[in-house]
Amino acid sequence: MEDIKAYIESGILELYVLGDLSQDEKIQVEEMASMHPTVKAEIAEIERALEAYATENAIAPPQHLREKILNSLITNLAVDNLPPSGGYIDSAPAEATDNVVAFPTSKTNSFYKYAFAASLAALIMSLFGLYSLNNKLQESQGQVALLQNKNQSFANKVNLLDNEINVFHDPTIKLIKLQGTPKTPSSQMVVAWSPQKKKVMIDMQDMKLAENDKAHQYQLWAIVAGKPVDLGVFDSKADTTGMVEMKSVANAVAFAVTVEPRGGSVNPTMDQMVVIAKI
Amino acid sequence: MSKKNKISLSEEQLISALRNREKIAIEALYDMYSGSLLGVISRIVIDEAIAEDVLQETFIKIWNSFQSYSAEKGRLFTWMVNVARNLSIDKVRSKDFKNQNKNQELEINVTFIDEQRNTVYNPELLGVRDLVEKLKPEQKSILELVYFKGYTHVEAAEELAIPLGTVKTRLRMAIMQLRTYFN
Repeated sequence: MEDIKAYIESGILELYVLGDLSQDEKIQVEEMASMHPTVKAEIAEIERALEAYATENAIAPPQHLREKILNSLITNLAVDNLPPSGGYIDSAPAEATDNVVAFPTSKTNSFYKYAFAASLAALIMSLFGLYSLNNKLQESQGQVALLQNKNQSFANKVNLLDNEINVFHDPTIKLIKLQGTPKTPSSQMVVAWSPQKKKVMIDMQDMKLAENDKAHQYQLWAIVAGKPVDLGVFDSKADTTGMVEMKSVANAVAFAVTVEPRGGSVNPTMDQMVVIAKI
Repeated sequence: MSKKNKISLSEEQLISALRNREKIAIEALYDMYSGSLLGVISRIVIDEAIAEDVLQETFIKIWNSFQSYSAEKGRLFTWMVNVARNLSIDKVRSKDFKNQNKNQELEINVTFIDEQRNTVYNPELLGVRDLVEKLKPEQKSILELVYFKGYTHVEAAEELAIPLGTVKTRLRMAIMQLRTYFN
């Protein structure tokens, strides 16, 4: 009881009524009041005294103000036309006298949350895009290489055909048909020769010679002033195409082909002659 | 026109009418408390027109946030006077107000208001003189500062250059005086 008396005399209850206490202190006083009727009665006394004092110091507002304020409140009432709900009970002590209002921090929070999610999504999408683009790039590069190869072989072929056509268009070139000897009557080949340009070529495509083995090669000879002159060696294969240029010669009177050991011989082996033509 | 029927209810009736959002509560609220509240507001907001604006804001706030009043924690007027005092202090400290007015510091000028408003004081009040005589000047000034002007007891101690403990005792003595006078 002594404690309560000291508590009352400390002046804290006056400060409570004057609204001059922190939130914690306020709750403390309210707890005391609910436990001790004397404290509660003391608070009520203080309140009544101050209320009376305020009434004594009242200032009568001007007449016109009554109408104005009542109208604004009635408008307010009409606007929130809601029926009195359970919200208007003592159980909602949201301290109207507190001026401290928490800032709505959730807004910024959710902003960063969404921003993070958005950038994550963008990252995933761009990674996926990068991956598929890379695939396409590699595919394209493969195709380009393929096309370049094809182009190369076409160019080669065109070159070859060009050469062949040039042979036929060159008026200085003579086409000499070499006929098989009695030993190889079915053999045949064509030599293109330009005496002015000293150019000798053999047509590999229309060549009709037996395929040579690995130890032997065919050797082309020109007969110049009664002596055989080596014009180079060649192989005969079924799938060979195009013209092959041989060594040059100016004034030949005959062309002949013999079979010689691989690499060719200095002098022709006469009994191995397969085709010959005199000019 | 307004004098024809001033409405007065018991505090319990008024509280339940306010809770039920009855129209009659609005009128009763105004008729019963507008003077007392304006008395407090005018001590802080000196300008008459602005004080009347604050009174309007006070009633709107009382009306709109009435659910936060708890009858168990105290009398209705105690809650309302806190609302009025806080709105008044907010107004005085707002940029708006400071720009409009020559920044009128909260001074200890107990007599200033009285002189200014003397003519508006309710002349029907009885016994004011007795009361004034019973309150010591130091008690009157502490009540003026803390109750009417919304100083905290810490601010009042600084303003009056007296210890905190003295402020508390003085305040308690002043209120004791009021209690013996009124209750």
